[in-house]
This record gives sequence, C-alpha cells and structure tokens, in this order.
Amino acid sequence: MRVILAEDSTLLREGLIRLLTEEGHEVLAGVGDAVSLLREVETQTPDIVVTDIRMPPTHTDEGLRAAVEIRKRWPGVGVLVLSQHVERNYAAQLLTSNAERVGYLLKDRVAQVDEFLDSLERIHAGGAAIDPEVVRQLVIRTTHTDPLSRLTPRERSVIEALAQGHTNAAIAQKLHISLSSVEKNLNMIFDRLELSHTTGYSRRVLAVLRYLES
Amino acid sequence: MKGDLAGADTHRLPSPLDPRPENGGALAPPVQPTARLLRVAGVLLSCFTALLGLLYFMLAGALLGAFLLWPRTRGRAHALLVAGARRLAALERSRRSVFFHDRFPEHHASDQQVLRYLAARTYTGLLCSIVVGLLVFGVILAGLLAAGVARSTMTWQELLTQVVLGSVLLFLDVQGLFSLAALDTRLARECFGPSERELLERRINELAASRAAVVHAVDTERRRVERDLHDGVQQRLVALAMLLGRARRSKTPEQADALLEQAHKESQEVLTELREVAWRVYPSALDNLGLQEALGGVSERCSIPIRIEYDVPEPLPPSLETAAYFVVSEAVTNAAKHSSAEDIFVSVKACDTFLAILVRDSGVGGADPAGSGLTGLHSRVAALDGSLNVHSPIGGPTTITAELPCA
Repeated sequence: MRVILAEDSTLLREGLIRLLTEEGHEVLAGVGDAVSLLREVETQTPDIVVTDIRMPPTHTDEGLRAAVEIRKRWPGVGVLVLSQHVERNYAAQLLTSNAERVGYLLKDRVAQVDEFLDSLERIHAGGAAIDPEVVRQLVIRTTHTDPLSRLTPRERSVIEALAQGHTNAAIAQKLHISLSSVEKNLNMIFDRLELSHTTGYSRRVLAVLRYLES
Repeated sequence: MKGDLAGADTHRLPSPLDPRPENGGALAPPVQPTARLLRVAGVLLSCFTALLGLLYFMLAGALLGAFLLWPRTRGRAHALLVAGARRLAALERSRRSVFFHDRFPEHHASDQQVLRYLAARTYTGLLCSIVVGLLVFGVILAGLLAAGVARSTMTWQELLTQVVLGSVLLFLDVQGLFSLAALDTRLARECFGPSERELLERRINELAASRAAVVHAVDTERRRVERDLHDGVQQRLVALAMLLGRARRSKTPEQADALLEQAHKESQEVLTELREVAWRVYPSALDNLGLQEALGGVSERCSIPIRIEYDVPEPLPPSLETAAYFVVSEAVTNAAKHSSAEDIFVSVKACDTFLAILVRDSGVGGADPAGSGLTGLHSRVAALDGSLNVHSPIGGPTTITAELPCA
C-alpha cells in the first residue's frame, strides 16, 4: 500500500520508513509537521496516512486535527493516529464520525511490529484498529455503571477484541474459541447492551465505542 | 528570547536587601557621618518650614476664612487652600528626600490627608523650634556657668547643682528632639505612603505573587520533564523496539545481525539520554558532592566553554545550594541556546549575608527578562527573597546577577 508518514522525531520516522519499505509498502513521503502532511496528502493521495498526534509547533494535537481534516476531505484515505498516551477525547473525536479506515494506537504499539502492521492492513481493508489499551481503559471506566458489569469474563474479552476492530474470525483465533462460539457470545452481548444487530464490523465497533463512552 | 527591548535593559526585582528608608523595617542601612549631619540639617530646616506652614495657615485663614464659611464659595476657597497646602507638602516631601533619603512611592494623598499632614507637621515643627531654642538657651547658660567657674565666683555646691540640673534638662531636651524627629518621619510616611499597613499589604502581595510564581515554575518544570521523557527517551525506546522487531522479521541472518547491531548501539544511546534527563530533573551530584561539583557538571554538559570562579568557604544550606545551582544552570542553558556566545563566565561568591552569583556571556545580548527561562529564574530567586538583575543590551554582553540571602 502507499503510505505517508508524519512524525517529528527523525529517528522514529526513519525507522518506520525502513520497516514499511522492508514489508513491501511504498512510503510516498515522510514529514515532520501537520502542514506538510496535508500538503503531501493533497498532491499524492495515499492509501493510508500514519501520523503522530504531538507535532511542532505547539506539540499538542496538531496531528489529530490534521487527521480529522483528512477524514473530512479525503474519506477514501485511511488514517492511523499514534498517541503518546491514551486520550479519550482524541479517540472519540476520531472515531465518532465514522469508524471506517481509521485507527488509534498508542505510539508504543509501533514497537510490536506485527501488531502495528496488522493494524495497517486492517485499516487498509476498510476496518478499524483501536489500541487494546484504549479499549481496556474505556471498559474499566464503565464497569461500575452499566450492563457491561453483567457480562461474563468470556463475553468481556470478546467485546474488547470486538472494540479493537477485529473480525469474528480474528476474535476466534485470538481467544482460541470456535467461530460459532464467538457469534453466540456476540449475540448475547448485543442483547444485553440492547444494540441492534448490524453486519459491518466497523459499525459494531462504533456502536460499542459509543456505548462505552456514554 | 531575543527581546524587542531596545538598548540596555536592566530588570530589577525588589529585594528586602535594598536599602529602604529607615522607616522601612529592620534592614535599614547604618547611618554614615555625613548622613547624620544631613539629618541634623533636615531637622533644623524643618523648624523654618514649620514657620512657613504657620504663616500660610494664618494668611489663608485671614483671606479665605470667610469664603470657607459661605456655602457658595466654599468649594473654590477650599480648592485654593488645598492647592497651597499641596505646594508646602511637596516642599516637605523634598526635604525628607534630600536630607533623610526617604524614598516615597508614587502615591496621591487626598486633600484631607494633605491638610491634616500640614497642620500636624507645622505643629511639631514649631515644637521642634522651641526645643531647639531651649537647647541654644542651655548652651548659653552652660557658657555662663563655665565663665563663672573660670572666675571662681561659684561654690562647689552651686556648681554641682547646676551641672546635675543642666544634664537632666539636656537629656530631656535631646530626648524631645529625637522624638520629634521620629514623629516627623512618621507623619511624612503616613501622608506620602507607604504606611505600616501598606508595607504589610505589599509584603503579603509580594509573597502571594512569589508563591504563585513558584507553583507556576514547578508546573513548567514538570511539563519540561514530561516532554523530555516523551520526546526523547520514549521515542528512542520505540525506535529501539522497532529495530528489534525488524530484526526478528528479517529474511536473512545477515540482515538480522546488522539490525541487532544497530539496536545495541541505540540501547546505549537510550541510556545516555535517560541519564541526561535525570540530571536535568535533579543533579544528584548536588546531594553527594556539593554545589561546586554540580557546577562542574554544568560546564561539562555545555557546548560553550565555561570559566567558573567559586569562592564559598563555608558549606551552604541545601536549599540555597539547589537554588544557586538552578540559577547558574538556567542562565547557562539560556546563554547556550540564544546568545551565540563564545565563552561564559560564572562566579559564585559568599558575601556576609548573601550568596552572589554572576553569569556573563560574550553573546549578542537582547535577552528578554519576560522570557520563559528568565521568568522561571525570577520565580526561583523571589521565592528565597533574593534579587535578580538581567543586564542585556543589544550587542551584548549579557550579565545576570543574583543575590540569595543566606538565611
């Protein structure tokens, strides 16, 4: 796939470019700030953009604002945002509009190369990739208020995997259970959370996340 | 920090070490002989200005009295009266400034205050004239007594009586003079400010401001540490982990080896970075080896050559050492970042009551005292009741001096 990288740390940017090139992807450009990122996206239209949130000049949320704009102007371009730590608001801003071709990962996740590449593939395929840590925190936050606390441990692990954007097959593989068992668990969860059955899994992610944030 | 402050700008923090008017508290400077003569002259002059005041009130009473009583003209007459009183009060104020070195703040006294002051001042001034007159009279009597003794027309008993009586009267008279001088000081302070209450309020405001500034400085510091960790150490660690991840995924053993070697080098650099960050947070050398060693660490870490003069015979209290260290290290960091200097001179000297710190760089000057680095320094120094001067004309050199009281 054709990728554009925005990351202000030269060291990390170079590392990412090498990694993606080794994996056979094409890195169209590597930039260090949000303005150049938007300029590059406009001229080259990549398949996917990977951007850090904190970038010059203010080191606050430049990357995120650029990501939101890219989602608005070029809906076909996938966006993967890398964050220094879990920021619920950032995640919410990015995911509530449309949870397709979008990812929110902790920066450290890049270190787990396989997972990072897997997330990229998922986003490229039209799905979502939410960092397990983000999901965990959202789940923890809601346990004392909600029907989630009524879930069995198995159902809880299924909903966490689901919220990360995994397909049913991937969940089955991840938790070492059968596909039918995943489906059964999911149906139970949707019943308990009173969520309508939908098929597109990104919409399920969205529904779950929205629920978790409420 | 390139300030848009044109020319030489000297920014001064108020300090309790500043000489204050003697009414300013316990830290008044000792009185020099010339200053004492000046004061005596000031007291004598106050007798004359009191006569002026008396004349003014008599004249004004005679001329304006009727108008002051009549409601229609009262306003204008009162304004005239006050205008004259203000002139005389200004005269008194200059007398206090010239002869007693009082420094009054910009302070606008109300009409009521001015009139009250002038009336009281005139009264005490006249009293003072009488007391001075008595003193002169006493001196004449003493002269006559001495002449009598010389002509030996006095018995021993008479002489003794006269001497005892004269001494007591002299004591009372001098006592009166001192009291009246003190009263004059107090009256001036109440009218021209600052009063005791204002001084206290000002001190409270100063403390509140410095406390807020310290909290702010601490927060800034923490933000810097967080930034250092995230943008330095964490990035390096992620890059390192990524190298290892790539090594594990590599297709050939050679590639894996090359990546591992890179990773190994990277891990060394992460360690260096971590040490640097920890040092910036708090140099542990301060606790183990003292200020001088820690300052040596500053010069090792600085890209510009630093010459350090350290003259502190006694060991310092830890809080003072820490403050002194951060003043030097901040100033040096600022100079290294902004001044394009070729060398930096640092001096740390222990004086009687304070520690004097000086950091001078040969750079381009134009440092802005309101810049973030210098503001943090101000806060740190103000918290210890010290003073900080930044002298940084465009074109350099920049000199930062700090005085920290040895509490």
